[in-house]
Amino acid sequence: MTMEQDTLLGLLSATAAGDKQAFAALYKQTSGQLFAVSLKMLGRRELAEEALQEAYVKIWHNATEYQHGKGLVLTWMISIVRYRALDMLRYHKVRKEDQFEDGQEATFEAPMSDEGPDVTKTKLDDCMGELEPQQKQAIHLAYYNGLTHHEVVGHLDLPLGTIKSWIRRGLQQLQRCLTL
Amino acid sequence: MNYRDPELRDALAAEYVLGTLRGQARRRFQTLMMQFPSLRESTWLWEQHLHGMNERLAPIEPDQAVWQHISQRLGFTLANADTRVATDKTNTVHEQSSESLKQPQSNVVSLSSFKTRLWQGAASFATAAAIILAVVLVKQQSIDIPVAQQVAVVQGAESQALWLIEVTDNSIEVRSTSNFTPLANKDYELWMIAKGIENPISLGLLPKSGQLSLPKDSQFDAVDIVALAVSLEPLNGSPNGLPTEVLYTAELAVL
Repeated sequence: MTMEQDTLLGLLSATAAGDKQAFAALYKQTSGQLFAVSLKMLGRRELAEEALQEAYVKIWHNATEYQHGKGLVLTWMISIVRYRALDMLRYHKVRKEDQFEDGQEATFEAPMSDEGPDVTKTKLDDCMGELEPQQKQAIHLAYYNGLTHHEVVGHLDLPLGTIKSWIRRGLQQLQRCLTL
Repeated sequence: MNYRDPELRDALAAEYVLGTLRGQARRRFQTLMMQFPSLRESTWLWEQHLHGMNERLAPIEPDQAVWQHISQRLGFTLANADTRVATDKTNTVHEQSSESLKQPQSNVVSLSSFKTRLWQGAASFATAAAIILAVVLVKQQSIDIPVAQQVAVVQGAESQALWLIEVTDNSIEVRSTSNFTPLANKDYELWMIAKGIENPISLGLLPKSGQLSLPKDSQFDAVDIVALAVSLEPLNGSPNGLPTEVLYTAELAVL
């Protein structure tokens, strides 16, 4: 992680100075990860690519604004593509329930690789593991798939108030665990 | 509401980052972040908390066209570094060309086959405008190959293409065509005529045949170029730094 951060920080600094080759290298190293994020959220390839494109245009223009307080370079970049995807979800009113029903989700499902012996558990994994299974599922649906509270209701078949408080309490618990 | 209340601040920031804060609430939060630095910091912290979840997503390679669109939107080629100022200066034009590239591309021909046909001296010559349009359409960008930002076609008295000039990030690529019959005891020099600068600035000698890469004058991107000109000179170029006899001029088109 540190090595990756050093590499990406170097590339981003050079990008901030207008180095196009560094920006191309940054794209090469990170676009697969960012695309997985936007595809998972938007479900449709053409929208996911649009979000990706706009995110990198923004990254180029805002490279000078990155600062350590914003977290790792990759975290900062992921935020940019996520917020763009969230804007698009609202704008295009992508109906997530439909996707789940007609099986599109399976087509563009980004594989989850949290099983297997080669996966290093992070603190986040440990803390997520401490949540109630349904709490964890609600947070996953909201985070990965960009579902609203209402859409999570449609997916888990529980009252809206329950979903809202689960997510809220789940996040509180997560924070307590992460900042321990 | 008291946005200085840490618990409320955290709850809002967490749902903002999670993505469950939507619509008006989301917009309002974005405005509040500008007003309250503590809210912004809370948000950054939550981004760090949650975005680790993405490490569980296996990377998926996006289509190559995404990178092409990005570099077109930003108006650059990637072989060489350039200044941000020069990029921004041409942004408007590139926005337009990227719009045109969103059109169906069935009429796209490959640059190499286009060039081959051009250099083979096929009977009819497109006008400079048509050639430039074609170059725009075939502007297939890749990370490794320098691609022209600007192009010009130097035409003779009968509108025949004599040289094709492509300006890349740090060079000017010139090719002479078979239409061009050079004088053995003369050289041909390329100049740029810039707004507000009285004398033309020499860009170098043109090839009498084949292809030549000229270094890009440091002023090239900084000035407003009205036209390019080709002059007839004694061997080795202008003796006094000014064009001896201007033969042709050509307009430079931004891609």
